[in-house]
Amino acid sequence: MTRLTNALEIKKLTKVFGDRKALDRVTFDLPEGAFLSIFGPNGAGKTTLLRILSTLSRPTQGSVRVMGIDAKEEPDQVRGHIGLISHNSMLYPDLTAMENLMFVARLYGVVNPEERVRELLRSVELDHRRFDLVRTFSRGMTQRLSIARALMNDPQVVFLDEPYAGLDPHAVEIFDELIGGLREGRTFVMVSHDLQKGFDTCTHALVLARGRVVTFAPKEELDFEEFRNLYRQTVGMGVA
Amino acid sequence: MADKPVKEPVVGGVLDKAAPAVLIVGALLAVAGFVLNFTVAGLVNGAEVSEPAVINGVVVGNKLLLSQKIFYWHMPVALVSFVAIAFAAYYAIRFLMTKRSCFDTRARIAMEIGLVFILCTMVTGEMWTRYEWGVWWTWEPRLTTYFILMLLVIAYFILRNALADPERRATYASVFGILIFIDVPICFMVTRLIPSSVHPVVFRTDSGLSPDMLLPLLISLFGFLCIAFALYRLRLRAQVMEDKLARIQDALED
Amino acid sequence: MAVECKKPSTWAHYVALLKKDLSQELHTKDMITSMGLYALLVLVVYGAALAQAGTELDIQQMAGGLLWAVILFTSLLGLNRSFSHEKEQGCLEGMLLVPMDRSVIFLAKATANLLFLVVVEVVCVPLFFFFFLGQVGAAPSWPMMLIPLAVGTIGIAGVGTMLSTITINTRGKDVMLAVMFIPLLFPLLWSCVAATTCAMCAPEGWMNTFATSLAMAGAYDVVMILVSWVLYDFVISA
Repeated sequence: MTRLTNALEIKKLTKVFGDRKALDRVTFDLPEGAFLSIFGPNGAGKTTLLRILSTLSRPTQGSVRVMGIDAKEEPDQVRGHIGLISHNSMLYPDLTAMENLMFVARLYGVVNPEERVRELLRSVELDHRRFDLVRTFSRGMTQRLSIARALMNDPQVVFLDEPYAGLDPHAVEIFDELIGGLREGRTFVMVSHDLQKGFDTCTHALVLARGRVVTFAPKEELDFEEFRNLYRQTVGMGVA
Repeated sequence: MADKPVKEPVVGGVLDKAAPAVLIVGALLAVAGFVLNFTVAGLVNGAEVSEPAVINGVVVGNKLLLSQKIFYWHMPVALVSFVAIAFAAYYAIRFLMTKRSCFDTRARIAMEIGLVFILCTMVTGEMWTRYEWGVWWTWEPRLTTYFILMLLVIAYFILRNALADPERRATYASVFGILIFIDVPICFMVTRLIPSSVHPVVFRTDSGLSPDMLLPLLISLFGFLCIAFALYRLRLRAQVMEDKLARIQDALED
Repeated sequence: MAVECKKPSTWAHYVALLKKDLSQELHTKDMITSMGLYALLVLVVYGAALAQAGTELDIQQMAGGLLWAVILFTSLLGLNRSFSHEKEQGCLEGMLLVPMDRSVIFLAKATANLLFLVVVEVVCVPLFFFFFLGQVGAAPSWPMMLIPLAVGTIGIAGVGTMLSTITINTRGKDVMLAVMFIPLLFPLLWSCVAATTCAMCAPEGWMNTFATSLAMAGAYDVVMILVSWVLYDFVISA
């Protein structure tokens, strides 16, 4: 893994609306190829941060660079490099797997969309169900298809928003395996409530509370027990 | 702020200090205008109060002639309500350009003032139609337009209440505010140019104001403008204080 | 596995978005069935509502208004649903993650809504004639009513798409859409009813009112759709 550039460079990122500060001068750099887990109690600003990083929301102040591109100035450029997997599948239940992916492929302007879609379907082992409506899929299958959807533009940075929500243990295992196979050359940012799981998979950990960074460190510098105590303290700080 | 700084309007300056005084002046002017319209302005076409008058070959009774006096309050109030809506639309545009919540607050308060004046317009208008045209309601251009405007402004507040996320609420409300501002003139033109053709009813409209009628009208208009402005500033200041209080409460809880 | 992406044209985006809505409808036939049924039921209600009016009632003069009432209420039903698929699974966010001009979403959605409405009208307008104008008939100029019908439907689809994007995120969205949609659409409704009635009754000098009404309806369409299109980016990104 070569670490020449930073995948994310966030400086004094602030999101304010009226009197409510959702994020307060968040600053950190994440090297390419890292896996960042964001922790924090409800209302700490995790989702807001993820939405800003994925260009779904605009920061009030500060700068965000994704793969060296300014997300405020050129959001469309950034969008070409990112993918999002969330607990929402972002798939139309009333379209077939193939139609869903073809739609996304056309939006991204993939050259040879059919080939690409088949390739993705095979990689998540859903090729045999490609003409079935997504409505008929199990939760785990839908999740796999939504991974395929997120990988359409071969993103260099992948955001995971509570990906385990609603998955049974078996589906979680498959999900982890799939994500594990994608680590090569990609940067991951995950928001999860599952402390143990988030800590196990990550290379870097970020703890937010009341919109501020409490801790940001590579995992090597953290001990899980210590980390858990620290996290409990933050959660204990209360939720607004 | 690193990128282009947005100048936020100040609250608590000279304008706010003057607001209570302006309110009193406005109220006095409005009353003066109303009194003057009885003392200075003549009745329509120079008729006398003591006897029924003949206008366009129709005998018009005293009650009808006096009911016309409501016009001196009705028209200024209607005009002011539209000015308030225009300001709301202006602040809505400012909000969409800057995404500063202070502009959304202003748009909302301007809309509130607009609603108050629209309601007053409806009430005075009803008095007028009842005696002037002999009906409580008719789908006449001005009435219809104001009725629709009232519904739209009420919808604006229902929309605000139906949204939880403050930024989204502000954005949607701003967009809807702009749509209201554009829709209303179209509504007026449409109802004016396309009369309900199937049952045409000819309404007498008093056109042409003599100078003695114009003076009280202008005084009332200015008075109501003052009232609207003062109410707006007072309401805005109260809102800002409320926000401050909420912030202090939050800080104390920590 | 490098993926080659060529940024597609706005037109390609428009086609992809529209095709998605249409194939969804082809799979479920959800919108057309529910809207068509609803329109039919409103006509049945009219049957009962007008049953006691007898022959004295000049149905010709009321026909335009009644027809527009069906169209308006039916469109409300369809518009309410048009964004629910997008919201349910977070598909809207998926679209926002794609580098593209976001107002295309407005144009594609408005076109889809327009097409669904047209299909429903093709069924319910002849039915309306069959049920209520079978005996009296309409003035020979009745085919002219297709023009206000088209202009009005375009306006409904345009403004409705904008408002349903707003209401999809609100509490009590069904009522919310009606509360915003009906007053905002009032001028269009007024002028379309006038034009339709003119075409159906053909009173003396009707061409004049017909032309004015159409001009007003057209002006409303142009202004409101342009404004909606410009403001759409703010709404969808919020």
